[in-house]
Formats: sequence, C-alpha cells, structure tokens
Amino acid sequence: MPSERLLPRLFLILLVAVLALAGWQWRHGAPLSANLMELVPGSTPDALELKAEQRMQEPLNREMLVLVGHADRQKAMAVAQQLGERWQASGLFEKVQWNLQADLPALREQLLRGRLAMLSAKDREQLIEHPDAFIQQRVQALFDPFTGFSLVPSQDDWLGLTGRIQNSQPQHGSVQLDIGSGALIADADGKSWVLLRARTTGNAFDMKLPVQVADLLQASRAQAGEQGAQLLAASGLLYAANGQQQATREITWVGGGATLGILLLLLLAFRRWRVLLAFVPVLVGMLFGAVTCVALFGHMHVMTLVLGSSLIGVAVDYPLHYLSKSWSLQPWRSWPALRLTLPGLSLSLATSCIGYLALAWTPFPALTQIAVFSAAGLVGAYLSAVCLLPALLQGVDLRPAQWPLRIAEGLWVLRATLIKHLPSPLLLALVLLFCAGGLWHLNSKNDLRQWIGAPPQLLQEAQAVARITGFQPTSQFFLVRADNQQQLLERQAALGQRLDQLVNMDKLQGYLALNQLVNLPAEQQRLRDALNQLPQHWQPLLDLGVPANALHAEIAQLQGLPIEDIDAALVGPLAEPWRTLWLGPVDGGVAAMVSLQGLNNPALLRVQALDLPGVQLVDRLGDLNRVFADTQISAAELKLMSCVLIVLLLILPFGVGGALRIVALPLLAALCSLASLGWLGQPLTLFSLFGLLLVTAISVDYAILMREQIGGPAVSLLGTLLAALTTWLSFGLLAVSSTPAVSNFGLSVSLGLAFSFMLAPWAGHQKHAL
Amino acid sequence: MLTPVGAGLPAKDVNDNANRLTLRSALRFFAGKPALTLIGLLLSFSAHAFDLQQLSDQLAKPSVIHGNFIQEKHLRALPQPLVSKGTFVLAKDHGLLWLLKTPLQQDYRISAQGIARRDANGWQLLPNKSAGAEQNRLFLAVLQGDSSGLQRDFELQLQGEAKQWKLTLIPRSLLLKQVFTQINIDGGELVQTIQLLETQGDSTVLRMQDSTAAQPLSDAEQHDFAQ
Repeated sequence: MPSERLLPRLFLILLVAVLALAGWQWRHGAPLSANLMELVPGSTPDALELKAEQRMQEPLNREMLVLVGHADRQKAMAVAQQLGERWQASGLFEKVQWNLQADLPALREQLLRGRLAMLSAKDREQLIEHPDAFIQQRVQALFDPFTGFSLVPSQDDWLGLTGRIQNSQPQHGSVQLDIGSGALIADADGKSWVLLRARTTGNAFDMKLPVQVADLLQASRAQAGEQGAQLLAASGLLYAANGQQQATREITWVGGGATLGILLLLLLAFRRWRVLLAFVPVLVGMLFGAVTCVALFGHMHVMTLVLGSSLIGVAVDYPLHYLSKSWSLQPWRSWPALRLTLPGLSLSLATSCIGYLALAWTPFPALTQIAVFSAAGLVGAYLSAVCLLPALLQGVDLRPAQWPLRIAEGLWVLRATLIKHLPSPLLLALVLLFCAGGLWHLNSKNDLRQWIGAPPQLLQEAQAVARITGFQPTSQFFLVRADNQQQLLERQAALGQRLDQLVNMDKLQGYLALNQLVNLPAEQQRLRDALNQLPQHWQPLLDLGVPANALHAEIAQLQGLPIEDIDAALVGPLAEPWRTLWLGPVDGGVAAMVSLQGLNNPALLRVQALDLPGVQLVDRLGDLNRVFADTQISAAELKLMSCVLIVLLLILPFGVGGALRIVALPLLAALCSLASLGWLGQPLTLFSLFGLLLVTAISVDYAILMREQIGGPAVSLLGTLLAALTTWLSFGLLAVSSTPAVSNFGLSVSLGLAFSFMLAPWAGHQKHAL
Repeated sequence: MLTPVGAGLPAKDVNDNANRLTLRSALRFFAGKPALTLIGLLLSFSAHAFDLQQLSDQLAKPSVIHGNFIQEKHLRALPQPLVSKGTFVLAKDHGLLWLLKTPLQQDYRISAQGIARRDANGWQLLPNKSAGAEQNRLFLAVLQGDSSGLQRDFELQLQGEAKQWKLTLIPRSLLLKQVFTQINIDGGELVQTIQLLETQGDSTVLRMQDSTAAQPLSDAEQHDFAQ
C-alpha cells in the first residue's frame, strides 16, 4: 500500500521540522522557568498591582538573612565576620553585610534638608501650638547629658529639629547596634545573635544560584557548628533551592521509574527487543509537548515537566493498542494490526485530548501549561504510533508470552463467577453504597500551602529568625492610588489613622507608609508660617548665649527650604526603608504601598480599606485561597462538560446507549475514587479533582477497548490491563511527591485508574459490522 | 517541589526589613548614647603598663561615691560654654543618679532598667533611649568590672601615677570615630575630670568635685534606685 511508504516519510519530515524548531528554541539554553508565581492563578489583572507585588517580593527572592548565634557575644561576632568574608569571596553575592558603618555625613545632610518635611506630627503640633514649651524643651535638651549626641551640631540646628526627627523614627524589632564593631545583635534564648545580610547576584528563579547558595549555607553551618555557633537563615532562595532539588529528584524518580517499569513490562510481555521501539512515541510525544509549550508560553515550567512526565504512561498506550493484538492476531503484522485498531486509537486520542484540554480552562496557568503539553504530546505520540512505528516494527514477528493472557483469562473467569453469584444490578447497588459511605466521610481542603513541599526545618528557621529579630513582615499590603502626591499623602494619612488604632490594640505590630517620612506640603507650609512667631518665644535660648542673629539666620534658612515632595524625601540614607514603597507616577496619577508588620488577623485588614478612596488591600494569599475554592466548582462543571463532549463524540461509533454506558463507567470510577479518598481519610483537594477530571478522559479508552472486544474479552482485558498499568506506573509515582498538590493528584489518578480497570468489563459488547 | 511561592507569600519574609533595621539601630544608638555612661566605664580597666589593672582596682573599690559636678558644654558657635551644676551618686550595685540643680532642675537615673527622668509623677523611663539596651548593658557590665567592651572599642593610654593619672581613650571603630575624636579622663583616688571631644568640634567637660566614698546611700537615694 502506498500510504505505508508515504506516511513514515511524511512523518519524518514533520519530525525533522519539529526538531529544528526545538533546536532554535533552545539556542540560548533551556527555556525553563522555576518561578512558581507564574503557575498560580493570575487573579491580578491590574498591572500596577502586579508591579507593587513584584516590588514587595523582589528582596525576598534575592536576600538572605542569617543569624549567627553563640553564648559568647565576641565569639558570635568573630564567626559572623568569618562567614561574611567567606561569603563575599564566594562570588555568589553582590553584597554581604555583617556590620554597619553608617554614612553619617549623608544622614546629616538629609536631616538638615528635611527639618520641615520630616518633623513628626507631635513635634509639629508643639512648635505651632506651644512655642514656649518647644523652646523650653530645647533649652533642657542642651543641658541634658543624656540627650546623646545629635548627628547635627547645635550651631547648625539651634532649634533641635534634627534631634526630634532622629528620635521619632519608627522603631521595630529587637536588634541592637554594637557600638564598637558596628554589628547588629539581638539577644534571645541565652545567646547573642549577630545579623548578617547577603544579597545575591541573581534571584531565586535563577536555575543554579539557589542551590549554590543553599550548599554554601550548608557548609557554613557545619563550620560554625565546629566553633560552637549556630546559624539560622531565612530567604526565599532557600525555598527555591529546596524546590529545585526536589523537582529534580522527582523528575528522576517519576520519569525514570515509569520508563523502567514500562520497558520491563514491554519486554516481559512481548519478549522482543525491538518492541522497545514502542517507546519512540513517548519520546516524540515529549518533544512535541515541549516544543508546543515553549512556542505558546515562551518557556516551560519545571512543574510542567514533572507532571508532564506522567505522559509517558499514556503515550505508550497507543502502540500497546495494536501490540496487544498479537495475542489474538497470529501471525501479527504491524500495518494490519494498526488498521484494525486505528478507529479505537483515534477515539482514544480524541477523548484524552478532550480530558486534558478541559484542564486548560481552569484559571491555573500551571494546568493550562500541563494541558497544552499533554495534548500536544498525545498528538505527537499518536502520529508517531500511527505513521512511524508500524514501519519500524515491520517484519517483527511478535510471539508474546502466554502468561499475561492466562492472567487475563483467569480474571475474566473470576468476574464471570462473581456475576453468577452477585448479579450486576446488586453489585452496582453495593458499589453505590460504598460510594455514599465514602462521600459522607469526604471533606475538602484547599490552601495555597499545598503547592509548597517546604521542609518544616526551613519554616522553623524562618520563624525563629522572625522571633529573634522581632520582624514579622506580612505578605499583605495596601496599595494607595491618588491623582497627585498631595492626595496620596492625605489618603495614606487617613489609612494610617486606622492602622494606628490596630497597633494600639496589638492587632498589628506596625506599618510603614510614606506619610511617616514626609509631611503634606500644606503641613510643611503651616510649619514654615509658624516659624515667624518663634522670635517672641526664644528668649530662654538667647539667655544661654545663643546669638540672636544665628537664630534669625536659621529661621531664614528654614523658611528658604523648598517644600519637599516624595521624590526629594526619598533621597538620603534615612529613606531607605521607604524607597521600595514608592511606585511613582502611574496612569495619570501616583501610587504607593503601605507595608505591614506582625499581623495576626488578616480579616481586620480588609475592613480598614473600606470607604477609603484609592486604598486597596492586596492580599495575594487570601485571594489565591479563594480562587482555589471557587475553582473546585468550576472544575466539576468542566468535568461534566467534557463528559458531554465525549458522549457526543462516541454516539457516532457506539450509538447513544453505548456512548452513555462508556462514559458512565469512568464517572462511576471517579465516584468510587472520591469515596475511597473519603474512606482513606484523605481530603478532597482541587488537585485530586483535577486528577479525576483527567482519569475520566483516559479511562474512557478502557471502556472503548472492552466494548470493542477485538480478539475476545480476555485479550481486550489484557490490553486494558497493560494500558492501565503503564499509565499507573507514571501517574501513580506522582503520589510519592513531597509536594502535597502533586501527590494528591497522583493518588486520585491511581485510585481512578484502578476503579476504571475494574469497571471496564461492564462496557458491554459492540457487535461489529466489520 | 518548586516553591518560590513558599518564599514569597506566607509571612516568613524577614529580609526586606533588614534595610530598615540597620539605620534605625544607628539612629537609636546616637540618640541614646549618654555621655555620662562613660563615667561608669571608668570604674574598671584591664591590665596595661601603669597600670590599668591597678587603676581598675582602685576605682572599683568604693561601693558608693557621692559628689558634685560641673558640666561645661563648649559649643563651637557659642562664646561661653553652657554650664550646669548638680550632684551625683554612683552606687556600684545600683547605678547612677545624676541630679542637675542649676540652671534648671532635672534628675536622671541610669540603672538596669535604662535611663529614667524624674517628672511630677516620679521616675519615667525614657522610651526612645532606654531602647538602647546595648549601652545600658555595656554600662552595667563595666560597673561590675567587666572591661572587655571598653578595650575593644577604645585605644587606652594611661599616664601618671595612682594619685594623679590621665587616661586617654581613642575610638577604634569607624562608627565611634565619627562621633568622638578623643575622651580624656583625669583623676586621683577618684575620677576628677572627663573631657569628651566630639568630631563635630563641640566638647563637654565634666568636673567631679568633692567626691567622697565615705558616705553610704541615704534612704532617699535607696528609694530612688529602688523605683
């Protein structure tokens, strides 16, 4: 037949084209991404919100905070210094800082420049309303031996405004400066902890850096341990490193395990080396999947690779379809066997693709990627199984081992005996009873934390660092928008008043807002005007010998200070903590963030933003958890829709009754899996639901195989068994993943496959016209 | 598996606050660093030539010192120094009472709890300044004869003899150098003068006069330390 010669050639041309495309895509190295943020639902359509979020995340993904603890303070500092020097020399970090040498001239300059703009509300109030008291306090301060050294000498600031600004800076945390060394030290748990900050050259989503940093930390930890010191570290990089190592391990296990298992199964069943060529569709499938993914999304996520590696088990089903015919079709020839099974194969491709593509409509970019990867992979596998593999297997005389067939026959007999004693309707009733009981026990659970397989040790350390330093930043923050800077500061001040109440009630540890750094222009002006009245009150200063002309000169100088706007206020070392909060001009207005510390009731925050115009709470964590819950319902709807589609597709070959029956079985299997989850005490998560969604599509295939019964029931059962086994080998292995989401997925697919296999024989028998 | 989400979202993000803690600590230090903490430092030093050990022992001997002080603040821009007078009580086990009498009246206390100032309602801990637990810790450590901190932060030069000595402290760290150029202390049996030369050009001279170690703590003083 000419098509038997034409098809392999056409396919080879396609393959070469795809390979060339892949080569082009990989020209700058692997287009892989490890940024999990890309995979969670994009619930923020707003570009500004996204920018704000990235700004808040950025330091987390690049910085590492390390505490070096030792009972002896000196020892702790010595170890911290060694560590700092070693890390600096490692080349992994842009900057490693373990002691502080403040830039005092710059600080002075900023304080002097910001005397009107940075003065706190309380001090402003006193100067304006009670100038006598203000002057009196200044006189006192000049004599006070405990006022300390002002950064700015008295003759540059007779009114002492810089000292007041210095003292009113918001303070958090329990880290102290060691005066001699400049080290930052906190005392806790009977130890002195020296703080060390390191900023990496790349971010956490770099493919190599996090692991290198984690290794360095590991080595440093051991070295510190030899000197009796303890290291605590917190950084997004460590989670990334852990995630990458875990992903690599899991790809190896799932991919490697599935491959080995399937190859072994093929060899055992068919006893021909060349049958291993059945793996060609798998490889082609992977290639097609990867290329399509990169073409559509610009890159491929590592998680797609992990979950996608389960495609191995599904892709190998296509060759198995006609290979397994060798038990009944003797002598077995590749092309005739293919022709015989082609309708089934094509149906199977269609139903699986429907199942996978249903995943693409969930709001999870992760699943969209996996769906696209899998659907393209299946098409690739199908094409190579149909066009190429038969040519490769031409001339192979398959003589499969007889024992698998005997097992299948045994199973078939077992089933027949079972039905004799327990008729099908009764069995169905029992199964439904089992389902009802299980569903009764089933409870659902959805949390973003399911995505995270972080070891408890990392979490504990991060918590310890937060406890010792007293810093408990929260992921939530407020985004404030306004038409101009004046309005922005007003809005922040309005929000600040509400937040102050929370701080007073101990519901919040503190917050950081731009209006703490710079006063409203109107306030600056008020202060400037109030300076005019000071000469009537400053006699006590003159009594000390302060020259009147110096005071007048200072007033003139102060009144000559320009009104500071946010951009000006952000210049200078004192503004460092606030700098990230300023988003600048956006969409004809301006925007800034308000960051929060030590929050213990997120629900309270939402209320704060109510009826404050332009103020919005950004709570990604909360939003995501809500999306998870909402998606569960839409996932169920998708499942039903995909079933309807499959029924429509199957009506043509099997008629309405047959189609319904074929689809009812996987649905029943899914129900049984749900019930099993309930009986096992496992929660129903979004991911188990997705797993079941997928299994419905795959197991339609089994029902079709059983219904067609090409070569007799036992042979069909064997084909189903082989298909289910290979699929299970790849999906079931996902259940061992340490990421709860992935393992949930694996578990529900495994259960679904088992039930689908058991229920498949009830698909009935199709009378073939052929 | 891959967990940058874990890094970002849950509230275990400590790093972004590292920035703000550094400067703030520095400010707190400068705001809270009491000049007179240094009086306490003088109670003890470790070994050196004349020697520091002897001086340390000599100064550590009395358990209570009473005296008068004159504080002169020489500000670069003022022709005359700002002069204030008062009395002090330095108790080895309790801390320091610094009672300013003229030109204005104000009582201070440095103790384990921090720096307190007396107002109409009694002693009030100064919140901003007491936050600098570091210098209180250092101060008290020195009071108890632990001089390791001082040696680390300052270069010590001792001249003279037990009856008439002069100690010069030169800061070692860049941070302290930006505040002091030098601290000079003169004394005999007890400390007599402390001179602080600030990098900015101002200086402070503290003269302790009529110091005596003969008097125990009065009831009122004990009461002041007890609160």
